[in-house]
Amino acid sequence: VRCQLSPQQRPLQASAVLRRVSDEQKEPLASSSQQQFDSHPTDHQPEQEPQGPRPSYTGQGGQESEDYESEEQLQHRILTAALEFVPEHGWTAEAIAEGAKTLGLSVAAAGMFHSDGSELILHFVSQCNTKLSELLEQEQKLVQLGEAEKKPTDQFLRDAVEARLRMLIPYIEKWPQALSILLLPHNIPSSLNLLTSMIDDIWHYAGDQSTDFNWYTRRAVLTGIYNTTELVMMQDSSPDFEETWRFLENRVADAMNMGNTANQVQSTGEAVVQGLMGAAVTVSNAEISRAVR
Amino acid sequence: LPAAGLSLRLCSTRVAPEGVNRPVIERVIRVDHAGEYGANRIYAGQMAVLGRSSVGPIIQQMWNQEKDHLKKFNELMVAYRVRPTVLLPFWNVAGFVLGAGSALLGKKGAMACTVAVEESISDHYNSQIRTLVEEDPEKYKELLEIIKQFRDDEREHHDIGLEHDAEAAPAYSVLKTAIQLGCKAAIFLSERI
Repeated sequence: VRCQLSPQQRPLQASAVLRRVSDEQKEPLASSSQQQFDSHPTDHQPEQEPQGPRPSYTGQGGQESEDYESEEQLQHRILTAALEFVPEHGWTAEAIAEGAKTLGLSVAAAGMFHSDGSELILHFVSQCNTKLSELLEQEQKLVQLGEAEKKPTDQFLRDAVEARLRMLIPYIEKWPQALSILLLPHNIPSSLNLLTSMIDDIWHYAGDQSTDFNWYTRRAVLTGIYNTTELVMMQDSSPDFEETWRFLENRVADAMNMGNTANQVQSTGEAVVQGLMGAAVTVSNAEISRAVR
Repeated sequence: LPAAGLSLRLCSTRVAPEGVNRPVIERVIRVDHAGEYGANRIYAGQMAVLGRSSVGPIIQQMWNQEKDHLKKFNELMVAYRVRPTVLLPFWNVAGFVLGAGSALLGKKGAMACTVAVEESISDHYNSQIRTLVEEDPEKYKELLEIIKQFRDDEREHHDIGLEHDAEAAPAYSVLKTAIQLGCKAAIFLSERI
């Protein structure tokens, strides 16, 4: 069934103009990063006139009528579709344009986004992080149900980082380009935010319950491990990235050792201090008893 | 069409426990955790100096209650996945120094410090209670109960301090004002950093 857009009431001015005619194809849900939405994936009467107020971005609850797609949801759909074209076109407006075409939209849809492909990359990273969280959540459920063994911390961290980095494999040729774009000043707040919440998630599922400065130390260390492993992966040409995983294993082991060493240093330090205090007390007692005599 | 100014809301993977206002909760828990941590260190400092004096048992008792408070906030921090303030190591030292320093002024000095700090903390808890009640008393019921209980405990410490001649301490009003100013600054920073 084909529908015509009527000119009145176009809440989505940008996307409405860009939309030629949309077919009633079943679109898979754009991205699973919609955790704050409880509305369903775009229903397939998108051309019916949406009644009601004009939301340009969804609010906290994402409450809209189900046959209505917000601009943000549309953007997510376009970006997800664009990912397929990244290996060929890189993280560029071309890939976004191709993605828009597969959705039946005009290539001018790419004009909604920055020309350097920032949003595409950030969208991809966000999607990967969400997939990782879901994976870790499932693993946690299995352990709680007793169907799986709880992994020791170092193995947990290794597996989590490896799982996350493996998501880059289909795009690995173009990933160095993405990394450099993520370091652009206007992207740093978002990319840093995504990175820190991912690392925090991994530690959360690893069972970290620190409420002191360790909270920061652990996350800083894991961030270092993740970033360096990612860079190694860019230059790794071994089969199935064996070198990378070996590097990862070594770094995680180093981190564990560092923790142990720190504890040892602290206990040694404490023991030394106690020894000195004991000596001081003994000497002062000796002085006192000598003075008394 | 202009591309600038369109920003995708990238969802953090952290799932909020059912519609809790995360920024508010994070601040509340972070600053309260820092406060109880600091209070612990203050009493530790006071005990280090006055532990064997006549007020030792009283200070120990108040310290034990603060330890319970800190334990509770540690649990809440893990449950709500809130990050602790970066300034913890600093409060560690500053709290101990304040406690020990005030105790070196004598028993009344220590009590004056207790009165000042506990008054600041109860006022702070009161304003948090107001904030949470304004937001949604039902949603934050558990948290509100905890904060109310703790506020009552701190008030009690404040009264104990007064009973033990805090007001007779050397330069009481100057000391009190200075300490309360410090507390305000600590609260401001711990909420944000």
